[in-house]
Amino acid sequence: MPNRRASRNAYYFFVQEKIPELRRRGLPVARVADAIPYCSPDWAKPVSTPLRRPGMLVPKQNVSLPDMSSLSLKSDQALLGGIFYFLNIFSHGELPPHCEQRFLPCEIGCVKYSLQEGVMADFHSFINPGEIPRGFRFHCQAASDSSHKIPISNFESGHDQATVLQNLYRFIHPYPGSWPPIYCKSDDRARVNWCLKHMAKASEIRQDLELLTVEDLVVGIYQQKFLKEPSKTWVRSLLDVAMWDYSSNTRCKWHEENDILFCALAVCRKIAYCISNSLATLFGIQLTEAHVPLQDYEASNSVTPKMVVLDAGRYQKLRVESPGFSHFNYSNQEQRSNTPIGDYPSGVKISGQNSSVRGRGITRLLESISNSSSNIHKFSNCETSLSPYMSQKDGYKSFSSFS
Amino acid sequence: MSGRARVRARGIARSPSATEVGRTQVSPSPISVTLSDNEASSSSDSMETSKISPNCKYGISSGTVGSTCTERGVTISRNFMDLDICTRQKLAHVRDCKTGSSGIPVKLVTNLFSLDLPQNWQLYQYHVTYVPDLASRRLRIALLYSHSELSNKAKAFDGAILFLSQKLKEKVTELSSETKRGETVKMTITLTSELPSSSPVCIQVFNIIFRKILKKLSMYQIGRNFYNPSEPVEIPQHKLSVWPGFAISVSQFESRLLFSADVCYKVLRNETVLEFMTALCYKTGPSCFIETCEKQLIGLIVLTRYNNKTYRIDDIDWSVRPTHTFQKQNGTEITYVDYYKQQYDITLSDLNQPMLVNLWKSKRNNNTEAQLVHLVPELCFLTGMTDQAASDFQLMKAVAEETRLGPLGRQQRLARLVDNIQRNKDARFELETWGLHFGSQMSLTGRVVPSEKILLQDHICQPVSSADWSKDIRACKILSAQSLTTWLILCSNRMEIVTEGFVNCLRKVGSAMGFNVDYPKIIKVQENPAAFLRAIQQQVHPDVQLVMCILPSNQKNYYDSIKKYLSSDCPVPSQCVLTRTLNKQGMMMSIATKIAMQMTCKLGGELWAVEIPLKSLMVVGIDVCKDALSKQVVVGCVASVNPRITRWFSRCIVQRTITDVADCLKVFMTGALNKWYKYNHDLPARIIVYRDGVGDGQLKTLVEYEVPQLLNSVTEASSNTSSRLSVIVIRKKCMPRFFTEMNRSVQNPPLGTVVDSEATRPEWYDFYLISQAASQGTVNPTYYNVIYDDNGLKPDHMQRLTFKLCHLYYNWPGIVSIPAPCLYAHKLTFLVSQSIHKEPSLQLANSLFYL
Repeated sequence: MPNRRASRNAYYFFVQEKIPELRRRGLPVARVADAIPYCSPDWAKPVSTPLRRPGMLVPKQNVSLPDMSSLSLKSDQALLGGIFYFLNIFSHGELPPHCEQRFLPCEIGCVKYSLQEGVMADFHSFINPGEIPRGFRFHCQAASDSSHKIPISNFESGHDQATVLQNLYRFIHPYPGSWPPIYCKSDDRARVNWCLKHMAKASEIRQDLELLTVEDLVVGIYQQKFLKEPSKTWVRSLLDVAMWDYSSNTRCKWHEENDILFCALAVCRKIAYCISNSLATLFGIQLTEAHVPLQDYEASNSVTPKMVVLDAGRYQKLRVESPGFSHFNYSNQEQRSNTPIGDYPSGVKISGQNSSVRGRGITRLLESISNSSSNIHKFSNCETSLSPYMSQKDGYKSFSSFS
Repeated sequence: MSGRARVRARGIARSPSATEVGRTQVSPSPISVTLSDNEASSSSDSMETSKISPNCKYGISSGTVGSTCTERGVTISRNFMDLDICTRQKLAHVRDCKTGSSGIPVKLVTNLFSLDLPQNWQLYQYHVTYVPDLASRRLRIALLYSHSELSNKAKAFDGAILFLSQKLKEKVTELSSETKRGETVKMTITLTSELPSSSPVCIQVFNIIFRKILKKLSMYQIGRNFYNPSEPVEIPQHKLSVWPGFAISVSQFESRLLFSADVCYKVLRNETVLEFMTALCYKTGPSCFIETCEKQLIGLIVLTRYNNKTYRIDDIDWSVRPTHTFQKQNGTEITYVDYYKQQYDITLSDLNQPMLVNLWKSKRNNNTEAQLVHLVPELCFLTGMTDQAASDFQLMKAVAEETRLGPLGRQQRLARLVDNIQRNKDARFELETWGLHFGSQMSLTGRVVPSEKILLQDHICQPVSSADWSKDIRACKILSAQSLTTWLILCSNRMEIVTEGFVNCLRKVGSAMGFNVDYPKIIKVQENPAAFLRAIQQQVHPDVQLVMCILPSNQKNYYDSIKKYLSSDCPVPSQCVLTRTLNKQGMMMSIATKIAMQMTCKLGGELWAVEIPLKSLMVVGIDVCKDALSKQVVVGCVASVNPRITRWFSRCIVQRTITDVADCLKVFMTGALNKWYKYNHDLPARIIVYRDGVGDGQLKTLVEYEVPQLLNSVTEASSNTSSRLSVIVIRKKCMPRFFTEMNRSVQNPPLGTVVDSEATRPEWYDFYLISQAASQGTVNPTYYNVIYDDNGLKPDHMQRLTFKLCHLYYNWPGIVSIPAPCLYAHKLTFLVSQSIHKEPSLQLANSLFYL
């Protein structure tokens, strides 16, 4: 379609910005066109603003594979090691605004995460929602049935709100000191906030958690790394994927057994997977089983042992090669420990005692190789850094790039 | 074919918002769904829309259009709001004449009856004030009606606005009365306006008059419609009774005021909640009785026959008994037992029953806060059918036999209603005092437009019946198809042999229609959604053209997770087939043909075309619906991208708003025009937009909000000559029905019947088109209202074009009830709102991936 208006490019605005200065210098500039000859040398110079220090490379338009070689390593490391908590609380529906009780908390899930380590520990508990306000039983039932399907009454697994909150606090903040940041999706923020306040009221524990949104976190990480803001659509599509819905070790036991997709823990874990899959890979981090549910994608698949690919090639002239997810083929025998360890409150799972150990076998081997070789590998362009120990075809990519 | 596929194929038959039992039952297959849907929708309807309280016979919910009344300014009901929008005036080419002429004239009988008024008949609207002010409506009405001055006059009064058919002597009349307590109340009646019979307020008053008349015929209003409990049809083996009834309305049609009536039914269960509870208690035992009882009852709609109102059971209060007291509106305490005795002369037998709780929202006072209403289980009858009942074929057959009236049966019912109105003394008196004369049944002349030829690759076929040309095109090659070389089939272990047989079948029928299908890679997986999804994730790579899943059951989980992943995370066309479908004996060939056609479309192929004389025409279909989970609004838009109208650009946009008005049309139109430009190197000369999913009272928003968006995107697309735009609103539900007279009997009119006179509205450029075949029951015409038209096509051409577009739905080898782009848009929104809940990837936009 022909463009009706000539589009104004960045240079146009750059020149426009420069016009006052040129006028001050006494140059005869009336329009942008007049000013262009005077501006060209400036345009070529590297820009110096607080965000963009000279000498630092401004990322290219193509966001998916920026050149990471010249980015500062120090800030990366801080970012990579930084610990975030993802929290979600489910409710039996939302009651109308005139009700005092807007939500009935029934399930809580929380995940401790860092880019480097992936999911480090998780916390999950059902909550006793308390008495359902008279007349709203249908409303709550319907809301529950359409999502998490947790029974609205006579549900044995529900713990009382004070205990749950106490356990949550112990999970997030076991030692004195400052509280770590807690994140949830922006759509859920109002609900989670309300539920936290409500539960705090019931338990008389005073601790106002600061609840931030995951979207902002993603934007923040991205900005810190690439010094520019990602598009909102990109962030939304990053966080909203269906591919982990049925992954093993994602939902809580009850939801897994009943095969229900909506689970507070799963929401948190899936946030972790999405961030790992999209952002951690940009940092050149080797994805482990703590980052995404890799075990589901191994060739010696233990979850669907009966999956058989019939070779219909006897009819086919052209056989199609399927790369699949063979680049995750390293074996992994370690099952994440499911029992509470040590001093942790009920509902808390820690993935391995030593958090620096993320797997065994090849994963560890890869890591030792990458550690022994120069650190630069880790942060330079991952495609090249990984090529020594991965076949060219199975280059290091995130899941989504295959889909 | 799977149930899903069948509903899909006949997409026409099952509109999710079908109104009443007995309306279009086009095909027998989806009736079960339709019926149960109906029950629920009509009962919930009644809760939302019943504006007239049964306590007050003279209740008026009328508008204050043009009047100065501010106090109790009751809003005009939604279906009358549209009458104010005069779109025809702006369309110069149809201002004088909007009727076409082509086709064979056909004489049609309608369900419309003439309603005559004396010349210069006027309605007088008064405003009544009380000093001291009275809160009680009943008291207000009683005081006013007791006056001799008004007693003989035809009147309607809602407590503030009074309508009279005769003018009072004075402009301001002062009256005074005494209440029972001895207070003197002064009433001032002030004339606020004189309304001609065509004004929307008048129309509303006529509707109120007819409601009164139907009540006089001892019919009861439930929801919007009137039912006759004295003539129930009993289906005792299923504890059901069916009440016959009518949906009525009065409105201003093309040249005159007409009364329209349509037959409808209400299915009731002859079982009170108390009986249900007792039976349940015996069955389950007392230990888990409360839990099961709540699970089964909560959410059901009950009918209390003492006032014929419906309520939803929101909760059950196990602590309250009928012997407990509650506070009446006047503040006195009374037990439930006494209340029912006094009010309705009903004696409760079980004094130990718990009470049902309903969150009741009063429509009269505009307070949003709902109040709790307690209902006695003994007096509450269950309505609708349980899922178990709805899946009982025999039962549904029995109900359908009663409710699915053919044209003749319908005609007889109507004749009886009219007869009753004219014979009943009270009814006649009511009509006479208002000066109304109830006339005869209207007949009019429609036209049957010529049937269409179906164009295939090297063959032009004139189908025997446009209802279904699957046989006619059996040996023909379809227009174009991509060959399918790289594709996957996922199936469970036990389906391996059947699947291989099916693939062979598919290849056979594929080659016959010119669709080359290679052998797929068959993957066997376990029977659970996770295994399916995992296998897809592992096996799908960018070269895969299509994924077919043989699903072991129609559990929503399978379908949803597969569609979700394959339409947004990893955009690849997918085809789901139920195991059950493939196990049908002797049907394999026809099933394979249907599926092969669907697959062709999903790969971007074209099946057939019709002759479109207009060159460079883009047709667009828009449908809107609500997301099942998040209640967000899903807008589906489908636009043709080639002059032959065989290829489509489809896009679905999820809006974060709650009103079902699209505000993303510009984004879509720009995209569609870009696509058109890409393929045709020019912009379309004409664009015709069909908009479906419009509710009562939304016409104004459409004209003022959606049309400008479309116009804007069209004019911005090119600098010199912009495409000419027309916007047409489609209504699948409309009041008029048409029958043809044939050897002393009446029948459904032939396909392609157009009605553009008499039954249309004077202020609109509108017409009716019958483009669906009804094998049973009465056919429902589709109503088209052209609200914007730059194209200036002759009405004839507009009608013919619309009819042609009804032939292009590739999921059904026959004609469908609405133009194909609209049905595509509907399919798309249905998929998004029910299964994937987010916008599908734009990579799929060039194929009909949602079929």
